[in-house]
Amino acid sequence: MIEELLFIRQEVAPELIAGLWMSIQLIIPSAVCGLLIGIVIGTLRVYGSPGLKGFAGIYVLFFRGFPLLVQLYLWYFGLPRIGIYLSPFAASVIGFSLCSGAYQSEYIRGALQSIRKGQLLAAYSIGFSHTRAIFSILLPQAVRRALPGCGNELIYLIKYSSLAYMVTCIELTGKGSILANFHFKYLEIFIIVGAIYLLLVSVVSVGLNYLEDRIAVPGFDRPKI
Amino acid sequence: MPEGIIVIGENLSYILGGLWVTVAVVGGALSMGLGLGLLLALGQVYGNRLLQRIVGVYVWFFRGIPLLVLLFIFYFGLLSALEIDLSPFTVSIVVLGLISSAYQSQIIRGAILSLPEGQFKAARSLGMSDTRAILFIILPQALRLSIPGWANEYTIIMKDSAVTYALGVTEILARSRHVAERTYQHFWIYILAGCIFLVLTYIGTKLLQRLEEKVRISGYAH
Amino acid sequence: MAEKVPVLSVQDVHKQFGDTPVLNGVSLDLFRGDIKVVIGPSGGGKSTLLHCINFLVKMDAGNIYLNDTRIDQSRKRELYAYRQKVGMIFQDFNLFDHLDALHNVMIGLVQVRKLPRSEARQRAEAELERVGLKDHMAKYPAELSGGQKQRVSIARALAMEPEVMLLDEPTSALDPELIGEVHEVIRAMAALGMTMLLVTHEIGFASTLAKEIYFMDGGRILEQGPPQKILFDAEQARTREFCSKIGRLNENSD
Ligand SMILES: Nc1ncnc2c1ncn2[C@@H]1O[C@H](COP(=O)(O)OP(=O)(O)OP(=O)(O)O)[C@@H](O)[C@H]1O
Ligand SMILES: [Mg+2]
Repeated sequence: MIEELLFIRQEVAPELIAGLWMSIQLIIPSAVCGLLIGIVIGTLRVYGSPGLKGFAGIYVLFFRGFPLLVQLYLWYFGLPRIGIYLSPFAASVIGFSLCSGAYQSEYIRGALQSIRKGQLLAAYSIGFSHTRAIFSILLPQAVRRALPGCGNELIYLIKYSSLAYMVTCIELTGKGSILANFHFKYLEIFIIVGAIYLLLVSVVSVGLNYLEDRIAVPGFDRPKI
Repeated sequence: MPEGIIVIGENLSYILGGLWVTVAVVGGALSMGLGLGLLLALGQVYGNRLLQRIVGVYVWFFRGIPLLVLLFIFYFGLLSALEIDLSPFTVSIVVLGLISSAYQSQIIRGAILSLPEGQFKAARSLGMSDTRAILFIILPQALRLSIPGWANEYTIIMKDSAVTYALGVTEILARSRHVAERTYQHFWIYILAGCIFLVLTYIGTKLLQRLEEKVRISGYAH
Repeated sequence: MAEKVPVLSVQDVHKQFGDTPVLNGVSLDLFRGDIKVVIGPSGGGKSTLLHCINFLVKMDAGNIYLNDTRIDQSRKRELYAYRQKVGMIFQDFNLFDHLDALHNVMIGLVQVRKLPRSEARQRAEAELERVGLKDHMAKYPAELSGGQKQRVSIARALAMEPEVMLLDEPTSALDPELIGEVHEVIRAMAALGMTMLLVTHEIGFASTLAKEIYFMDGGRILEQGPPQKILFDAEQARTREFCSKIGRLNENSD
């Protein structure tokens, strides 16, 4: 037992921590880019010209419709055949961002569509400018409506970041896999890896819940997914 | 590009040969998820404190760990630890089914909780036992309300089924990979694979919409 | 009486949605302290008229004058200043859903009038007290009754110190027992000499306040005159028909 713990501490922990660090480096830029893409695409789907709406619709169709793993293969194995070479890390971040953006855009779209037209009319009627109405009325409402969905998408992103291993970006799952094969300790190591994801997901969802509570307002439903 | 099209034409039937594996994995996982999810939902809504706690932990566990890691835990870890021999195909169905049961339990639970309280009371007032009330009054309504959630769950499991390739299940992505490696047409082959999944999710969603319309009770607001 | 200038003058407003003309040249004047009421069948263009007056809907032709100054809606600053001077009450309240009653009233003062927060808060509290909502200031729209919501929206408009109020069927979305509380607030505004243009189907209430009633149908003002004349002695058959119908409705609802 003591030996086990010592082994974990000396052989396993440093490697897994390095893997976790890589996972975080994958997740954070992907989450940020995904959200930005989602805001742009979601806004286009609601307020864009017919052409832009069509473009945004097709974007969402493909990037939500293709399995994420297929998308990663497309970026990592597919692009080199047409002359574009991406590192495993770059391919993963691009794949995660584009896919996550498609999902995020649906939440943004829903949030924007849920805002009644009268809200803006009322703002104009007391002398608000367009910009001011957007920042003081539209956005605060949209953020509250979109946050549960967007937060949920962040949780998904954390879990799906494990697929980076499939395009040879060695993050937490990858490190675990290498360790497990090397030491022939599959069950123990994969359970530790699973526990780390569980911890990460739990911490983030507690944070998101706290955030939702902080900005909660009666009348804005908080669908728990 | 024409070259890619030719390769697609030549290998389409081989790739589509993986269709039944994908469909079997998805179908198996969803059915298992439904059965288990239903029990979990009932346990969480009507069970005692302890049962509710257990279901809560179960859902937290299976929604918090990545599919790929769960596949590894079960296939490389548990099977050898318990000295059981199961094929990657079976393990994939089981793992996806367990994950799906966690999600489906929450869909069904949400549907049950959204029913007006009067439904249960009215059933009891007729002298029905609680079990009967659940079976004949609550579930027929709750399961109808769950269909949109299932449509969503179906698309997720369909796409996730591609990950089972990591264990060597020869579904659509696995076969696409073979062809891509052989022909060096990765780009077009993976586009093709993605489109096959797109069509599969589309068909399934449409079928579930049909089902929803078919079992709709007129005047029932959603 | 000396020649006076109307506070608000609406001249020859035209508006069509797609191919359907909705306003076909509407003109009216409001002098200081005037209370004028617009009645007419549904779809006659009453809401569109009020929205056009506040430039919330772009009119096709026509002019609006505030104190003899023509409003040019392409000059944004002028437009925003004008809208503060012309309060608008909506049929369905349009309170800002993410703000409580107090902040619904404050936000215009802070964001548009640029008052310091503490001063804005005091003003908003006073306005809410005026409409009888002293004890509900911390409630969000979802927690208020329809009548309370409409009173908050009136307080929100009054806080901007408007010279004219436009009210678009302020009580038509309310349960009958809540109508009274809103009418009371409108009556109090009238007593303070507020200039008002009121669209309503509450003929009884309207005739006790109005100096003049406009009957509007098909995008035009078909007839105008003092309440007694329009309600009981109208010249046009169309007006008589409408008034008798609505009179009966109001009787039945009592
Ligand atoms: N944004 C719009 N787009 C197209 N048509 C519109 C729009 N707004 C109003 N209309 C049409 O203009 C006509 C007048 O509408 P308006 O709302 O001004 O009538 P109203 O007199 O206020 O009726 P009500 O008493 O029902 O409120 C109606 O036929 C309506 O369908
Ligand atoms: Mg109207």
